[in-house]
Amino acid sequence: MNILTNIAPVKITLTVLAAMMLCLTNMVGAQVLVPSGSFHSVMPEIKGEPVEVESFYLDSTAVTNQQYNEFLQDHENWKPENVPSIFAYKGYLKNWENTNADDIVNPNQPVTSVSWYAANAYCQSAGGRLPTLNEWEYSAQLMDFESTADAKEFANRLMSWYSTFDNENMGAVGSTGIENRYGIKDQFGLIMEWVEDFKPVVADDLSLDCGTVGRMQKLGNAYSYAASIRYITRMSFSPKSTNSTVGFRCAYNVETMEDKKSNL
Amino acid sequence: MKSIKLTFTLVIGLLLTGITSLSYAQTSEYEIDGKTFGMPEAEVFTEDYDGPPVVGDHLSMLPNLEPLDYEGNKTHEVRIDIIAQEIEVADGVKYEAWTFGGTVPGPVLHVREGDRITFTMKNRSDEAVTITQPTKEGSPFMQQVAQNNYMKAQEATMPMPHSMDFHAGTVAKDDKWRTIAPGQSIKFDWVANYAGSYIYHCGTPSVLMHTAMGQHGVVVVSPKDGYDTGYEVDKEYVIVQSEYYLKKGPGDLYQYDYEGAQNRNPSHVVFNGHQTILHDQPLKANAGDRVRFHVSNNGPSGTSSFHVIGGIFDRVWLEGHPFNEMRGMQTVLLGASSSATIDMIVPEEGKYILIDHEFADAEKGATGTLKAGPREK
Ligand SMILES: [Cu+2]
Repeated sequence: MNILTNIAPVKITLTVLAAMMLCLTNMVGAQVLVPSGSFHSVMPEIKGEPVEVESFYLDSTAVTNQQYNEFLQDHENWKPENVPSIFAYKGYLKNWENTNADDIVNPNQPVTSVSWYAANAYCQSAGGRLPTLNEWEYSAQLMDFESTADAKEFANRLMSWYSTFDNENMGAVGSTGIENRYGIKDQFGLIMEWVEDFKPVVADDLSLDCGTVGRMQKLGNAYSYAASIRYITRMSFSPKSTNSTVGFRCAYNVETMEDKKSNL
Repeated sequence: MKSIKLTFTLVIGLLLTGITSLSYAQTSEYEIDGKTFGMPEAEVFTEDYDGPPVVGDHLSMLPNLEPLDYEGNKTHEVRIDIIAQEIEVADGVKYEAWTFGGTVPGPVLHVREGDRITFTMKNRSDEAVTITQPTKEGSPFMQQVAQNNYMKAQEATMPMPHSMDFHAGTVAKDDKWRTIAPGQSIKFDWVANYAGSYIYHCGTPSVLMHTAMGQHGVVVVSPKDGYDTGYEVDKEYVIVQSEYYLKKGPGDLYQYDYEGAQNRNPSHVVFNGHQTILHDQPLKANAGDRVRFHVSNNGPSGTSSFHVIGGIFDRVWLEGHPFNEMRGMQTVLLGASSSATIDMIVPEEGKYILIDHEFADAEKGATGTLKAGPREK
């Protein structure tokens, strides 16, 4: 049972099976192939047409404090003391006590309080990029449920989660038990995540007023309500925003990954 | 190569920023019927401010109303920052509220018809802010909360975009009521053109969720020539009715109940943000007093049939406007975001119950006590 009853079924292909194999062999930080497909966006500009998404690779988990710290050792200009204010608000990495390579606190928790610029720089250095909004949302919807009731129950939980993040007791990446059918973990239940085009052009048109949620209720269910909260929240960010609940994971073009593999 | 990529990213980022800072049509100030319109464009900026979240001489905690200790009109410098706060709204029911200034409802702002308000608000939802330290700075609100922390407010963080919509202001919402991200501030002017009690609330979608999570309050705009009564009132109180939609979360805290909110099935309907506060701390008066209630129903979705058991409303000004006078009302019906200013003569020593006469609401908490002492005059 898919979370969206009207989503087009995804064809099982050999690439899918390959992706499943890949995620079995890797736990944290694995890059997983998300095969092409389509999904229904809550964005009002899309009139009933499913959004087509090409195949791409996505980190199975969000970037951790440890991973981000390793990045900082090679990219001193992204250390909090060096980052110019045009790239991040004051709260950049505010929950970090220091940026020494040796004693990073909560190494397996997702890094948060990073600006969109910082997330971009990280993913570039990892040979990837931030996922696009549609890639991220498409992957997030590739979840399987036993029944409509289960899907509804999940969506209700999602709404509560969007009202109260427990950022005091944030879990490690991979700890939520929430994952899509290809093994992409924690797209819900842990943090919110940056995407490349977090403020699509339509954001201005929507003007973020009280009717916006209603206009996003195309799918008429709790999941699309939760999605609208997520879209609206994301759209309101500045690329300099450094929120304690916002981290990221990287995406990779299929060609890039194939080049990488053939070089091994 | 690397530096070129970075520059490109910066350009994209600036484009993204640009979308929020489109220039708005400038209107110069003008007057119609003695009312002032055409406010300067709002300013969105970042600041290092980390002081009291509520600043201004005429901001108080419910049910108090700060007296207007000045003649004629003035410009008020007002700050109400957005902070997350863990609060208790009924015995044992705590949740992480999204607030204006740290309480639900937020502080009461009192101004006079024709006053100008220069309003500043910082979205500090990602910052742990304590509101209960005794302070001489800021506002009467800060001192009153420190002395009487009935919501047991504790600092919390929950970064979300928010905005401010003052019903007492007459401005373009796409400019002044703009949504700001955590870490950003907004500053704009508005003029209190109409007398009455007006709600304020967050207008960021989902408005239902943002207001139900606690982002609302009241501005009392006193008429410039007062109410035409020929008497002074002895006591003046502000009462706000609102709903909570909460369910038990996985830990000790309660959480937003999406289905309850959608289906207009509140877990609590309360006066002044807490299920029993107006019984625990009754309003006080004496027999023969004229008591003025500024009553506002902040919703988000319910109505209030406001009544006082044992009393009849002597005079009622619907929405608090001096032209809207009614006499001898038993109950005042208030829609969501509707208010009334009510004068009542306290009949005799004893107890009077303020109540939403929609009993389903009353039994979820919408009641309070006015305790009357003996006649003194
Ligand atoms: Cu809000």
